Amino acid sequence: MPDGAMPVLEVRGLKTVFHTRGGSVHAVNDVSFHLMPGELLGVVGESGSGKSVTMMSLIGLLPSPPADVQSGQVLLGGQDLLKATPEALRKVRGARIGFVFQDPMTSLNPVFTVGSQIMAPLRKHMGLSKAQAEVRAVELLELVGIPDARRRLKSYPHQFSGGMRQRVMIAIALACDPEVLIADEPTTALDVTIQAQILELVKELRQKLGMAIVWITHDLGVVAEIADRVMVMYGGQVVEQAPVKELFRNPRHPYTRALLKTIPKLGGQRGERLQVIEGQPPILGSAPAACPFRARCAHAFARCEAENPVRRPVDGRPVGQGHDVACHWSPEGAEDPSQEAAHA
Amino acid sequence: MRDTTTRPLVEVRNLKMYFPIHSGLMRKHTGDVKAVDDISFDIYEGETLGLVGESGCGKSTVGRALLRLYEPTAGQITIAGDDVASLSPEALRRKRPTMQMVFQDPQASLNPRMTVADIIGEPLDEHSGLSSADKLARIYELMDAVGLNRAFANRYPHAFSGGQRQRIGIARALALNPKFIVCDEPIAALDVSIQAQVVNLLEDLQDRLGLTYLFISHDLSMVRHIADRVAVMYLGQIAEISPVDALYARPLHPYAEALLSAVPEPDPSREGARQRIILKGDVPSPANPPKGCNFCTRCPKVMPVCREVEPRLQEAAPDRLVACHLIHPIDAARAGQTGQAGAQEHSQQQGV
Repeated sequence: MPDGAMPVLEVRGLKTVFHTRGGSVHAVNDVSFHLMPGELLGVVGESGSGKSVTMMSLIGLLPSPPADVQSGQVLLGGQDLLKATPEALRKVRGARIGFVFQDPMTSLNPVFTVGSQIMAPLRKHMGLSKAQAEVRAVELLELVGIPDARRRLKSYPHQFSGGMRQRVMIAIALACDPEVLIADEPTTALDVTIQAQILELVKELRQKLGMAIVWITHDLGVVAEIADRVMVMYGGQVVEQAPVKELFRNPRHPYTRALLKTIPKLGGQRGERLQVIEGQPPILGSAPAACPFRARCAHAFARCEAENPVRRPVDGRPVGQGHDVACHWSPEGAEDPSQEAAHA
Repeated sequence: MRDTTTRPLVEVRNLKMYFPIHSGLMRKHTGDVKAVDDISFDIYEGETLGLVGESGCGKSTVGRALLRLYEPTAGQITIAGDDVASLSPEALRRKRPTMQMVFQDPQASLNPRMTVADIIGEPLDEHSGLSSADKLARIYELMDAVGLNRAFANRYPHAFSGGQRQRIGIARALALNPKFIVCDEPIAALDVSIQAQVVNLLEDLQDRLGLTYLFISHDLSMVRHIADRVAVMYLGQIAEISPVDALYARPLHPYAEALLSAVPEPDPSREGARQRIILKGDVPSPANPPKGCNFCTRCPKVMPVCREVEPRLQEAAPDRLVACHLIHPIDAARAGQTGQAGAQEHSQQQGV
C-alpha cells in the first residue's frame, strides 16, 4: 500500500440497527475501514458477525425499515454515500460500486436472458446504444472466460452451471468499470474445483483491471490465497485488522487465534483433537457495553465485562494502516498485568 | 488406523442407483440419471470411511441407498451379514436400529412441532418396548452423551442453535444403539467455530460406543481429520479409495489430485509454493456421462484410450484402489509388463 495515496473507499463509524418485533438487533457497531486503489480486502467472520450487513449498508441495499443506518460516513471519492439521495445512490450502484452475491442462481433473474442482464447496467449507467451494449457484453463475457460468448448472450441463467453463473455475475458487476467491487461470499456456493477457477479468474482480472475489491468470506483458506489485507469481524465489530501474512503469522485477538486453530489443515499434523471455541456467538440485542467475545474467550478478565475494547495499534502504525486489534488482552501479558491473575 | 484383522461391517457390491427421466406427453421413460453407477467398497468395523466429491457426484445418494432410504437399482449392500438391498419390509424394519443417519441440515431434519424429548424418543417408541420412565431415563442419558442440558428436554428445535440442533440429530441417531451411522454432511450447515465441536463429539462417541461411520463431506480438510480411509467419487463412480494419509500425501487418481490441490490453505506463506491444478470446464451431466472414463472430459492427463475404455477400480498399491488407465494395476506389474502399460493393459480390460 503506497503511503500518501488516497483510499478509494473509506468507511467511518458505521452503525446499523434492525428494529424488529422481537426487539432491536445491533448488527453493525462502529465499523471503520478503508480500501486503497487496487487492493483486495478480505472480510472474515461467522454468520451474524455483521460482515454482509456492513457492505449492504454502504450502498443502501438494506430495506428500511427494519434496517436503520444510524450513523457513520461512507466516502467514495469524497462523496458521502449515507447522505446521498436515492437517485444519486442509484448512479453509484452498478456504475461505481459493483456487487457479486453469494448465490448466483437467486441473484440472476430467471426470466431474462443473460445478455439483457449484462446490457441493462451498460445502457442505464453508460448510455450505450443497444448495439454498443451488445459488443461490450460479448467483451465482458469473454473477459470472464465464457466460451462462445456471442451465442451465450441469448441463454437464460438456468442454462449455465453454477460456476458459469458466477462468472456472469462478475461480468455484470464489472460492466461499468467500477472503482470498487464488493464480493459477498462469491465462491461459497461453489465446489472446490470451480472455486479454484473463480479465484484464478479474480487474480487475473485484478492484474488486468487493477480495481479495488472487498471480499467477504468465512473461509480463511480463501482469504489466505487472495487477500492483501484482512479484517476479522465478530459480533458486529472489527476485532482485528492486518496485512494477510501478518494476520496468519501473528494473530492477536483471542477469536482470531482460536479460529485459526479450529480449522484442520491439509498439510501438517493429523490425529490430535480439534480445538474448539466453546459456546455460541452473541445475540446483539443492545448496543455493546462489553467485549462481544468475552463469554467465549479463554483470556477474558474483569475489564472485558466492563468496557468494550477499542481498536489499538499492534505494530505502532495508526489504526487501519498496519496491524490493529480490539482487545484488552495481549499475548505477551504486558499490557494489563491484572489479567495474569484472572487468567490463572 | 484399523488393523488388518478387522472384518468389513459394510460390504457394497456393484451398487447402482438410477433415477428415471420421464418426458413427453405420455411421460415415457426416456433415460436415467445415473447418480450412482456400479460402485463397490467395504467399511471396516470401527473405522470412519470418508466419502468426498463435488455436488452432484452421488455421494449423498450412496449414503441414502446404503440405508435403503432409496430402493437401489442393482447391487448388494451387506451390513453385518444381511443384504439390506433385498430384505423384506418387515426384516428391514427390524434391521433399522443397527443403521442410522445424521442429516446435513438440522433445521430441516427435526420436526418443529415436536419437543427434543419427543424427537429423541421417537425411535424408542417405534423399536423398543420401554416403559415411559425407562424411556425418559434413556432420553436423558442420550442428551448427556451429546452434551445437551437435560433441562431443555421439553423445548422445541427452534429454541436451539445450529450446533445444538445437530446434537439433537446425533442423539436421535444414537437412541437405538446402532453399529453403523451415515453422517451426511453433518457439519456443512454450521459455522467454523461450531464445526469443531460437532466433529469432536462424533469422534468421542465413536471411541466410546465403537461406532462405524460413513462420513460424507465436501470439506477435504475435515475429512482428513476424521477419516481412516477416504473414497473419492466423481460423477457416480469411485475414482480412488485410499488410507487417508496416503491419499493426502500422494493422490493417485488425477481427479483426486486436482481436488486436493484446489483446496485453499489457510496459510498465506505456503500459497506460492503449492502447485494448483485448475480443472477446465464443468462436471458432465450424470444423465449422459461421457464414454470411457467419466473424468476424460476434464482430465489434464487424458489419453486417447480414456475416451474409449472405462477404467476399473483396481489395486494400485497395498490398500489403495484406483480407477485410472495411468496407474498400473498390480497384476500387470507382477507379470513384468511394467514398461508398456498403455495399450496392452487396455486390451486386457476390453477382454474382461
